[in-house]
Parts: sequence; C-alpha cells; structure tokens
Amino acid sequence: MPERPILTFEGLTKRYGAVTALDGVSAAIFPGELVSFVGPSGCGKTTLLRLLGGFLTPDAGRIWLDGSDITAEPPNRRATALVFQNYALFPHMSVAENIGYAARIRRRPSAEVNRRVGELLSLVRLDGLGHRRPDQLSGGQQQRVALARALCFNPRVLLLDEPLSNLDAHLRILMRAELKRLQRELALTVVYVTHDQEEALSISDRIAVMDAGRIQQVGLPREVYERPANEFVARFVGVANFVEGEMAGVTETGEMVVHSALGELRLHPAGDLPRPGAPVRLVIRPEAIRIAPQGEAGPNRVPARIETVLYTGSLIRYGMEAEGVSLTVDQPDPRHIVPHREGERVTLIFPPDAHFLPADAER
Amino acid sequence: MTVAAATRRGRPGESVQALADALTMPALTVLMVGALLLFIVYPLGLVFVKSFEGDAGPTLGNYVRFFSSRYFLGSLRNSLVLAAITTAATVTLGLVVAFVVTRGPTALRMPARLTALLPLIAPSYVFGVALIILGGRQGLVNQMLGTEFRIFGWPGVILGQVLTILPVCYLMAENVLTSMDRNLEDSASDLGASALQVVRTITLPLATPGLLKAALLAFALSIADFATPTILGGGLAFLAQDALLLVIGAEYDLRMASVLSVFLILPSFVSFLVHHRWLAGRSYTTITGRGGAVEARAMPPVLQVPLVLLTMVVCLAILIPMAVVVFGAFTQLAGINNAWTLQHFSNFRGLRALAFSLRMAAVAAGIAAVLGVVLAYVLARRRFAGRSLVEFVALLGFAIPGTVLGIGYVLAFNTPPLRLTGTFWIIVLGCVFHYLAVVVEAGISKLSQIDVSLEEASRDMGASTLGTFGRIVLPLMGTALMAGLVYTFMNSMLTLSTVIFLISPGRETASAVIFHFARMGELGLASAFSVLLIGAVLLCLAVLWTVVRRRGMLVLGGTG
Repeated sequence: MPERPILTFEGLTKRYGAVTALDGVSAAIFPGELVSFVGPSGCGKTTLLRLLGGFLTPDAGRIWLDGSDITAEPPNRRATALVFQNYALFPHMSVAENIGYAARIRRRPSAEVNRRVGELLSLVRLDGLGHRRPDQLSGGQQQRVALARALCFNPRVLLLDEPLSNLDAHLRILMRAELKRLQRELALTVVYVTHDQEEALSISDRIAVMDAGRIQQVGLPREVYERPANEFVARFVGVANFVEGEMAGVTETGEMVVHSALGELRLHPAGDLPRPGAPVRLVIRPEAIRIAPQGEAGPNRVPARIETVLYTGSLIRYGMEAEGVSLTVDQPDPRHIVPHREGERVTLIFPPDAHFLPADAER
Repeated sequence: MTVAAATRRGRPGESVQALADALTMPALTVLMVGALLLFIVYPLGLVFVKSFEGDAGPTLGNYVRFFSSRYFLGSLRNSLVLAAITTAATVTLGLVVAFVVTRGPTALRMPARLTALLPLIAPSYVFGVALIILGGRQGLVNQMLGTEFRIFGWPGVILGQVLTILPVCYLMAENVLTSMDRNLEDSASDLGASALQVVRTITLPLATPGLLKAALLAFALSIADFATPTILGGGLAFLAQDALLLVIGAEYDLRMASVLSVFLILPSFVSFLVHHRWLAGRSYTTITGRGGAVEARAMPPVLQVPLVLLTMVVCLAILIPMAVVVFGAFTQLAGINNAWTLQHFSNFRGLRALAFSLRMAAVAAGIAAVLGVVLAYVLARRRFAGRSLVEFVALLGFAIPGTVLGIGYVLAFNTPPLRLTGTFWIIVLGCVFHYLAVVVEAGISKLSQIDVSLEEASRDMGASTLGTFGRIVLPLMGTALMAGLVYTFMNSMLTLSTVIFLISPGRETASAVIFHFARMGELGLASAFSVLLIGAVLLCLAVLWTVVRRRGMLVLGGTG
C-alpha cells in the first residue's frame, strides 16, 4: 500500500440539535483501496459520507483530499463522486445523457462526451442501452448506470451509499462481485457505506465498524471478525458467544488458564496476556466450537444441552445451554452428519486460540 | 368470502337480514349515482343543449351570432390576453415564492408561505375592493403621491387576478419542489454542476410537468373569473363578465349565456382532463427509494438575492391590499375622510347576508362531507361498471366554473317537478355538488391507506355492511371527513361564482353583497363585510382546527 493517503479526515463531528450524529471521526483512505464504514442505522455512516461528498458541513473537523483542505468546498468543486442509495438517476434524461452529465456540465465537446459515454457503457456492460430511460431499466441496470455516471469524470474517490440495498438478495451477491471487479480493474479508491456486515466483510480491503457516531474498530476484515475490539464489534460483525471468566495464571507450557463460568479453559491467544486475577471476556465464534465425538477426552471440554436446532442448508445452528450460559454452535457442512436433537446432551470442545476482550472494553 | 360468513349466510332464519345486507351497497351506489346525474350531469347537459337552442329547433345560430359579433370577439380576445398574462405571471411568481420557501433562508420560509397562501381566504372581490381603495381616482396612491393614476382597466384586472390565482400556482409549485427527490439535485451538484446549472438542467426540467398543470389551471381560473373584470375592468369586456350580464343584466339571454358557458368550460375541461390523466399516470416526482438526511444548504447569492427580493415584493403586494381592506372597514371613506368609524358594520343587508352565508355554508359542508365520504367508500371499495365514469363526473362538478354550474341550475331547476330557484336549497346544492369532489378525493386517498382486511375482519366477526361502515370505516376516515367539512365550509362561505345566479332577494350570501357593494362604489361597506366574512371563516377554521387536532391525537392514541 502506498505511503500517502488520498483522503484524510480528522475529528469530523456533526450535530443535529441535541443529537450528535458523528462524534470526532478520523481516518485515512489510501489510493486503490476499498474501505467500508459499516454499522447499524443511526451510527453516523451516512452522515460521514455526506460530509465527505460536501452535502453537509461539519461542526468540527477537517477533510483533506490529495493533501488540500476541502472541508469548505461545495460538492461541485470536490473530486469525489457519490453514488446514492436510490441511485438518483435523472428521470428526464436517457441513460447516455445521465452518464455523460458530468462531461456536458464541464462543456466537453460532444464527440468526447459520446466517446466517454460509450466507454462507460461497455465498462458496466450496458452496451446498446444508452437510449433507454432510467425507468425502463431493472434495478441492477440502474445501479450500473449510477456507477458509470459517477465514474464519468474520473473522481479521485468514489463514495458509495448502501449501493446494493435496493437490489434483491440474489442480485446483491452478483453486483458485489461486479463492484469488486470494477474497483480492481480501475484501481478505484472507494469509501463504501453499508449496514450489511457480511457485504462489508466480503468486499472490503479494510473495514471501519461504527456505532453511536464513532469508529469502534478499523482493520482488515479478518481482524475485525476474529479479533473484535469490543463487544459491540463482536456482536455486530457475525455471531458471537461471550464467556466471562478470570485470568488464573500461565502454565509452564505457556498456556493461559482462565477460570470461567464453564469451568477451567486453557488457551494460547495471540497478543499480550492479562495479568493474573484480571477479569476477561472470551469471544468465541459459533463455528469455532466443536461438538466432541462420543467418548473422546481432552482439555477445554464442556458439557452442554441442546435447546434448539436450526437447519440453514450450509450449516446446522444449535442453541445450547452450558452451566447457565447460552451458546450458539454451528456445525458446518451437514451433508454427512446425523443432526443432534433438541434435549440431547453433548460435550463441546472450546478452541485454544479464543479471542478475549480487554477488561476496559465496556461495550 | 370467509368461511364464517359463508356458513352464517347459509342459515335459513337470517336470509332476509342477509338479503338486506347484501343490498346495502348496491342501493347506496344507485343513490349516489342518481344524485350525481341529477345535480351535475343534467344541469351541465342543459347548458350544452341550450347553447344549440333556436326558436325553430336545434341550431348553430347562437354560435354564428357569437362569432359574427365584434363585441363578443373583442371579449374573447380580452379574456385570452388576460388569461395568458395572468398565467405567465402566476406560474412564474408561484415558482419563485415556492423556491424561496422550499430552498431559501429558513427565517423567511414560514412567513413567505403563509403570506402566499393568504389569498386563499381572500377571494377576488376582496382584492377588487382593496385595489379600488388603493388605486381608484381618489385612491390612497393618488392622495399620497399626488398622481393621476387609475387602476381600472388592464392594470387592475391583471393585478387583481394575479393576486387571487397566485396561491393555487404557488401550492402546485411548492408540491412539485418538495416532492422532488433532493438526491437528484445533490447528485447533479456532486457531478460538478453549479447552483445555476442544477436549476437549469435538473430542477426546472423536473418541475415542468407540474408547472404546466399549474399553468392550465391558472388559465382556466382566469377565463372563468368575472368578479375581477366587473370590479376593476373599467369597461373592458371579458367573456365571464358577459355571461354574468346575460343572466342577471338587462340583456337577459340564456341561449347566448349558454354559448359563453361552453367557452368558459373549455379551458377548465382541458385542464381537468390533463390533471385527471396525470393523477392516474406517471409523474417525475414519484420516484421510489428514500432520500437521505437533507440539510438546507444556502442558495448561492446569484440565485438568492433576486428570488428573495421578488418574493418580498409579492408578499407586500398581498399584504398591502389586505391591510387596506381593514383600514377601509374602519374609516368613513378611506383616503378622503379617514375618521375612525364602526358604522359600516351595522348595515342590515350585510349582516343578514353574513348570517345567511354561515347557515348555508354549514348545511352545505355537512351534506358534502357525508355524501363525499359515502361516495368515496363506494368508489374505493366497490367494483362496478362505470365506476371511473362516476368518479369523473364527481370531479367534473368541481372542475367546471361555478358560474356555469349556476347557469345549469337556473336552467334545470326553475320548473316543476324540481322547482328550486329562489330557495335556500338551490344555493346549498350548488355548493355541495361543486365542492363534493374534494371530499371524495380526500376520502379515496384516505381509504387507499386503510387496508381492506380491517373491514373483512369486521365482517368476519359478524358485522353487517352498514355496521362495518359505521364502526370501522367512518372512524378511520375521520380526518378525511373533517378535511372535507372544513374545505366545503370555507369555500361555500367565500364563493361568489357558484352562488351568483342562485341567490334571490332575502336569500343572498355575504360574497354576493360585498360584490354588490363594490360595484356600487360602497367601498366602506364592502371592506367592512370583507373583514367580517374573512374573520368568520378564520374563526371557524380555528375552532375546527383545534377540534381536529384534539381528535387527531385521540385517534392516534387509540390505534397506536
């Protein structure tokens, strides 16, 4: 990744009356990367995007694009392009007129505009549909037009606001791959806003998880999923089991011993170990817990009772109860296994590499 | 049909009741259709027939007479020129004010909006009175500036009509601008368009269909308006005014009045057809998807300064005449003898007319609200042949000028068996069937938000058709009913065109008396009763509004 960020913002704050929508958000976006801002509705992600696009002015904080301060620049003077959630295609213009809008506004010669529109149409695989009206296109096609229109004048940063939320589930997956292809092919720098954590995990180079107007964690998708910084991130990205315990000590083999509600667990997590006696909170993903075969013995075994069984096709999800703690356990690839039944008692094996949250991570 | 209802219907003992229940809706439908035929289609048909009536059977002679008359052709030309000017001015100014209200400085929005809507409760004859006090030979302008200005003629009719018709165009422009997806303008700006380019390439093109509709409506309203030309025309001839004189003047000629009516209907009818089509069809403003949080961004000064200035001029042009009417009401003779007096308020004829108007409008509002809600229910929930035609007829009653409906009533109800001319009821019925469409539309749109399953649930649990209507539909339609009541009351109080041919000695409305005072030059009396009339309307609106608000909360609390 190159050294210099293309887009930087620092301490961005936006208030609506008594409500603080965005509370001192800072980040740096590097050329060619796709960074998602993901969070529940009301977390401030759309406000952030509108600030970056120039549709809102921050109450505090600054924005730099290519090193120059653009905080006070209006949208038409910023080299950013926003693709709106509802696409905002101009209904009184054809597809080609929509795509060429930015070029025509800049008074480019019509031959150049036409050439550029042609290029963009084939880029988004809509050749031959230039004469159509937006309302004669399907949702997926409208989405591509919006994208092509935003790319018309080669923006430095592309801002995408929930771009796939208006598509049906199947199309959403296809467009995800399509977006990724375009972003790689054109080396686009993209700020991507979504509430869909799975979409964010699959499409992003980096993810920023937001809540209550603040960034809770920034990192690679794997980092965010496997080593969430706090309970909010753990809960929002994927499904998480939490086990409370206390750091008991370290064995001679370097294993960390935790006295938990589920009994003694021996772990060797990455990162610094908490000091003995400190409270710890383990975060364990459902697919990391295994159901032990009958009679197998070993460490980190916990007896549990199955409360619910949910078959989803790609996995079986069990709701379990162990020592008063509710757990979610996934059994992947259920083709060759006989599912356990409700009320059955099983033994669970906890992974030795479980992630734990620092004691000060309140949320 | 649900299982429970089907088995219940199968029981022999209740078959009579079931039959009565099954007949409720068809009976209501027939009743409503009959009323519309009798009070809208029949009178209008008579106007049309009358225009072809000759001494020896049907003839085109009346039309030939119209087109070979230099006088009528002059009237036609004047009406068209006036309508064109009024339309251009009201659409432009309406758009300007709407632009400032929806996108301008926050502090200006509410005052500008309220001022622009003010003429809705101040009809043309009130502005007429104000403009004479201001711009007459001995008017305030000449008194203060020592000029020889005369408002009568073109300046008067144009100014009067623009002020009267402005709120209609303003409302339509405002509706277009607020329902427009703001993301479209944001998107254009994001793609590099300057504020002016956004307006030119996005806002105006998107607003054009709505503005065209507003233009058509303004044109139709201008053509049909007779009060402004009569009060301020200074002898210029206009079609609507000619129609008035042919019915109530010395040259009594109902055939020619009918010919003029046909011409008066035409623009309204075209406008109506366009609206009707558009309502059912597509429009640029209905684009799916939600917009994000929208924050008002300041308009750039190039746009803001001229638009705000123009808006202020418009607001002053509305407020000054209003203030002048109040001034005129409390002075001996505004401009000449400015001594304070209350004498204008004690005029017997005026007070009697005001009381009559209150009574008439209250009765009309009650009938229109009930009929409108029932008709809306029939139209929204029943599928029968000619359903859309019935809705069309109801709307037609509203679309045509009140004067034409009035002439139709004169033709239709002056002979037995339905001899109504000279009665209280002919005025009430005129107002009911002129404004019924508004109640119907409000009711239909409300019903389209109420799921049919609520009524099915009620019937499933054993309620009859009427019972379901009374217990489920009516309470849910409360707001539509109230809106219809308020609208019909207010407009029945203020209308002049609908009632002008239907009044009789002792049974005249306040609007007609003010119009009479204005024509006679009794400006003090005209001002005083304008103040009283508008005051009465405002008072009633305020009372109704508090009631509606309180009830609205109750309804919300009950269903939430």
